[in-house]
Amino acid sequence: MEKNIILSVKDLEVKFKVRDRELTAIRNVSLDFEEGKVVAIVGESGSGKSVFTKTFTGMLDINGRISNGEIYFEGKDISKITDDKDWEQIRGKKIATVFQDPMTSLNPVRTIGYQISEVIIKHQGKSKEEAKQIAIELMEKVGIKDAANRYDEYPFMYSGGMRQRIVIAIALACRPKILICDEPTTALDVTIQAQIIELIKELAKEYEFTTIYITHDLGVVANVADIVAVMYAGQIVEYGLVEEIFYNPQHPYTWGLLSSLPQLGEKGDELFAIKGTPPSLFQEIKGDGFAPRSEYSMKIDFELEPPMFKVSDTHYAKTWLLDPRAPKVEKPKTIQNLHEKMLALTSKGGVYSDRDK
Amino acid sequence: MKKYIWTRLLKSIISILIVVSIVVIMLYTLIPVSKIFENDPARQKLKTNYKTVYTYSRLEDLGYLDYYTIGEMCLAKDSQDINACITAGSDENIRVLNEFEADGFTVEKLQQFDEMQGNSIAYRYYGVLELLGNFYKKLIVIDHPFKIHDPKNPDMERGYSIGLDHNNVPAIKCSGCEYKYQLYFNTSFPFIHTNALKLNFGISYPTNAGVPTMDVISTGQGTMDSFEQTFPTGEVLKSPILQHTCKYKYETDHLDQKRFDDNYANCALKYDSPSMIQTSYIFGISSLILAYLISLPYAIAMARNKGKFVDKSGIVLINILIAVPSLALIFFVKYIGFAFGMPDKFPQLGFTNIKSYILPIIILALLTMPSLMMWVRRYMVDQSNADYVKFAKAKGLSKKEISRNHILKNAIIPIVNGLPSSIILAISGAVITESVFSIPGMGKMLPDAIKSTNNNMVITLTFIFTSLSILSVFLGDLLMTFVDPRISLNVKEGDK
Repeated sequence: MEKNIILSVKDLEVKFKVRDRELTAIRNVSLDFEEGKVVAIVGESGSGKSVFTKTFTGMLDINGRISNGEIYFEGKDISKITDDKDWEQIRGKKIATVFQDPMTSLNPVRTIGYQISEVIIKHQGKSKEEAKQIAIELMEKVGIKDAANRYDEYPFMYSGGMRQRIVIAIALACRPKILICDEPTTALDVTIQAQIIELIKELAKEYEFTTIYITHDLGVVANVADIVAVMYAGQIVEYGLVEEIFYNPQHPYTWGLLSSLPQLGEKGDELFAIKGTPPSLFQEIKGDGFAPRSEYSMKIDFELEPPMFKVSDTHYAKTWLLDPRAPKVEKPKTIQNLHEKMLALTSKGGVYSDRDK
Repeated sequence: MKKYIWTRLLKSIISILIVVSIVVIMLYTLIPVSKIFENDPARQKLKTNYKTVYTYSRLEDLGYLDYYTIGEMCLAKDSQDINACITAGSDENIRVLNEFEADGFTVEKLQQFDEMQGNSIAYRYYGVLELLGNFYKKLIVIDHPFKIHDPKNPDMERGYSIGLDHNNVPAIKCSGCEYKYQLYFNTSFPFIHTNALKLNFGISYPTNAGVPTMDVISTGQGTMDSFEQTFPTGEVLKSPILQHTCKYKYETDHLDQKRFDDNYANCALKYDSPSMIQTSYIFGISSLILAYLISLPYAIAMARNKGKFVDKSGIVLINILIAVPSLALIFFVKYIGFAFGMPDKFPQLGFTNIKSYILPIIILALLTMPSLMMWVRRYMVDQSNADYVKFAKAKGLSKKEISRNHILKNAIIPIVNGLPSSIILAISGAVITESVFSIPGMGKMLPDAIKSTNNNMVITLTFIFTSLSILSVFLGDLLMTFVDPRISLNVKEGDK
């Protein structure tokens, strides 16, 4: 089957300068994004998920830079773009972003209509009147009732869920090829979360864009993603189809993440947590970055960085446990029959994360 | 909204009344009476009983006490035989004095040797509530057609009429009122004027003795300025008379009769230099405009280029301007300006020469600039770190578009709020700068009035400054509703 790669990242390395010291936030990440697929990037805070996707739109903070690697988009290496003018042709127009907090993503003193049509005027060169028509259509599409009348209202007149709908409408205003959703539902309550996820799913079908989800909510991942990339300490440690990650995880960090699902906790038992903290990104990380926190680490984990081992055509993991010479280890008991457990949870309906209300 | 404005206005008036009442009580009860006369040269020349009588009649004028001479006492107590009454020691005299004493008055016999020796006087200091009552009773003066009672002109017409004034502009005139023109228009701000309602704070004393305090600060200064005008009699004359201000004059002379066809001949005059309020306002507003013109673009540029040269140089400038004591800065700029041929005192070239204004305006602007720059930059930087700016960037807007269409509109909100205060309170003048340049403005009025125990002036200024401050804060809040859609002025149910 011919794969249609829309965005291709090769050996990406991102460094930040913090008080005269340099830290490496992204360490040699390579990843291809397939057109029309939903890719979820998961990992704990500080693992580099957001920084990774920010490089696609040139949104790195002023003290950060791409020190190595390439990002190919539409045949061009966008990692080399320095001029803001060139970025403006990509940002919002071809690669759009939805941020975490809809309460603060919108300008409080500008009307909703202004903030939507502004993008349409800028990127599509439409007149004010045309832009208004398009904006109202978009508002209806994302589920705002009585859109024509609400066009001139201000963000404070909208609820959180509705604001996130508007943010999505703005992001989709120019029919982007890629939509980056940076924890789009974290700030919303559970019922609204499900609605927003459903909305993005539907719109992705209609507008045929590729979705990149950044989240640490594995419930969301299971619900929406086609492909999952697990990030740890600036690297992708495991990558595969969503079923492969959930039902046949290979990396001890993925095991840890899955074991931490609160839905899997037994009543009365303490919830599982991965011990320790991520390594400092200021120092060079030797071997497997997760080794000091792993119960399964071997001597080689502290000395040599593991390569990406191929598990299947679509599934890769970066752990020495997959080396033929490694001893056979069993993955933790809690996630051994995750498939059945997850099915049991979903059969009750709703998103996985709804369960523990 | 309407309801909010009315309640707010009501609250403002109550606050003003409270402040003014406190000041009135403090001035009249805490300052020793002897202090008031320290600066009165007329009293220092008087001797013996004349001095005593002068003192009490002055105190009565100033509203401290109720004062009666023996003649007034006799009239007040309906004495049948005035001559007997005013004779010290007579039965009638003793009866009247006893009655006054019974009314709570202090009766005093003039002791010193002169023609008034032996006469009695009576006085009674007002209590706190009486003081306040008297103050507010005379504070608001409303003009009406039954105000003037002239025995020589008993058949005076009474009533309002609409007619043309000497400039052939419509005006509401009145016969029988104190002022002829009740409502009129002219070319000076605020263009529509009225004489129907006036505030009376009493007379200034001991400085500018006898002149109403409001007139001291609002009448023009310098020499009289004559201009050609047509008088009601048809006479065309060069005269400094301001016909709109004419009051009823009981005794008109032949000059008045030549000009006016009625008794309204007591008029204010035009002077060639602006009043104290106007002078301070000219300096305040000009320096304010200059400060905003420089600070706003500079601060915006600083915020846009945070950490770069423009920003760093601006921060150095702000630091210097804040660190240098204002007095040092004033003298420094003054000497530099002097080297360039600018006058170092305002009266040297006076009101008519533009050079007189340059140095004080530059100095006042320099004093306003650092805090303005600092805050505008701060607001801009704060806003540019906001999430909506990140999102606007992700939308593909350029830095310029974000700054102009998004950041500025948010950052301007607190600045707009402070704008009315800056504009209105410019009339309060600048104490140090006006002193250094000897500018005849409002700046020194309050400290001078306090120093010379000019109580009425202190009350007047307190009233003006308090009302303007409250008004300008109110205006600032009103303005905010225009720039920030989140703010609306409504009385909430819970506020009651």
